Amino acid sequence: MTALTFETLLDRHQREIMAYIVRSLGEHDMAQDVFQETFLRAFRAYKRLPAEANHRAWLYKIASNACHDARRQRARSPLPLDESVAAPERSDGTARVLAGAVAAFVRSLPARQRQTLVLRKFQGMDYDEIAAVLGCSAEAARANVYQGLRKVRAHFAEVDHD
Amino acid sequence: MTSDRCFEEEDLLALLAGDESPEAWREHMRGCDECRELFSAQEPLRRALDEPARQPIDTLVKTARAHLEEALPLSPKPTAYYDAWPDTPVGPLLLAASDRGLCAISFGSSVDDFLRRVERRGFRPAPSPKRVRQAVKQLREYFAGRRRRFDVTVDLTGQTPFQRQVLEAAARVPAGAVASYADIARAIGRPRATRAVGAALGQNPVPIVVPCHRIIGSDGGLHGYGGGLDVKEKLLRLEGAPIR
Repeated sequence: MTALTFETLLDRHQREIMAYIVRSLGEHDMAQDVFQETFLRAFRAYKRLPAEANHRAWLYKIASNACHDARRQRARSPLPLDESVAAPERSDGTARVLAGAVAAFVRSLPARQRQTLVLRKFQGMDYDEIAAVLGCSAEAARANVYQGLRKVRAHFAEVDHD
Repeated sequence: MTSDRCFEEEDLLALLAGDESPEAWREHMRGCDECRELFSAQEPLRRALDEPARQPIDTLVKTARAHLEEALPLSPKPTAYYDAWPDTPVGPLLLAASDRGLCAISFGSSVDDFLRRVERRGFRPAPSPKRVRQAVKQLREYFAGRRRRFDVTVDLTGQTPFQRQVLEAAARVPAGAVASYADIARAIGRPRATRAVGAALGQNPVPIVVPCHRIIGSDGGLHGYGGGLDVKEKLLRLEGAPIR
C-alpha cells in the first residue's frame, strides 16, 4: 500500500521539481506545461508505486523525461525559443550575467551531461541520488558531470580570452 | 587536508563539481603562482555554477498547482483557520484549527514559515480568529494558572502512527508532573526508541496543549524544546513541576 497521499507528495516536492524543470528548460511558460505533464504522469502511475520506493527520485525521473520530451518538441518548433548560450561580453560580465550564461550553456549540453549537471550543481544532489534519478551508476553520473564541466570550462575560457 | 602537488585538469573539474573544496589547495597555492592563477581564472565560473537560482519559483508553482488541481481529481484540502496571538507570556504564538480540531501551535511570529508548515501537512490555511478562539481562551486560563488540562480536540493530520503514539503518551502526563523520554518509550512498548521519541516530540504540531514540555531527560535535564529551553522551564514552573 502506498503510504503517502498524492497530495502530500505534491505538497512536499512541487517546489524543487518546478525549480528543476525551470533550470532544465530555462523558460517559465514551458516549465508550467512540463510541470503539469510531470504530475499528470506521476498521478497515473502513483498507485502502482511501491510504498518503499524513493518517491523523490521517482518524481525527478518523471520530470527529467518530461523535460526531455519537451525539448525534443521544441527542437521541431520553427520558433527560436531558447535564449542565447553565448558567454557575456567582458564589459557586462557581472557575476549575475555570467551565472545566467553558464546556466544557458548547461541547458545546451547533450542530455546526460545536462541532466547530471543540473542535478549536481543546481539541485545539490550527490552522485548516488543522481544515479537513482537517472537509472545509472554513481560513477557514470560523475563521469557525465565532469564531461559537461569540461565543455563549460572550454567554452567560457575561449570567450574570456578572445 | 592540503595538497602538495600542482593542479591537474581533474582537480579543477572537481572544484567546479563541488567534489573538492578550495581549502584543500590553499596551502599549496600560497607558494605556487601558476596554480594560483589557474584557480583565480576559474573562480568566476565556479561561483557562477554555485549561484543559486533567483527565479520567482513560488508564483510559478502556485499557478501551475492551480492548473493541476483543475486537471486532477484531487480531494479538496481541509482548511486550517489560523490567527496570531502576539503577546503571550511565552512570546508570540500562531494557532490553527481545522474542522476536526486544533491542528497547529507555533512559537514565534513568522506567519510565512507557519503557513508553509501548515501547508506541508496538507491543509489550506485561511485567516479566522473565530475558529481558534476556544483554544486561545483555554490557553489564557492556563497561563493565568487557572487551568490544569485542556479540553480541546486536536487534529494530528500529517503525523505518522509512531508520532501519534508518542504524542498520546505525552498527553497522559498530568500538569505538575514530568516523565522522561525513556518513560515514554517504555509506555508505547518501544523501550529502546528513546531517541526516536525525542524526535517525535520535536515534531509535535500542538505544543503546550499536547504537553511535550513535560518530557525531560532521565538525568533531570530539560534537553530540547521547539520554543526554547527558557519557555520549557517557564511552562514547567507555571505547572509546579519538580524541576531543578
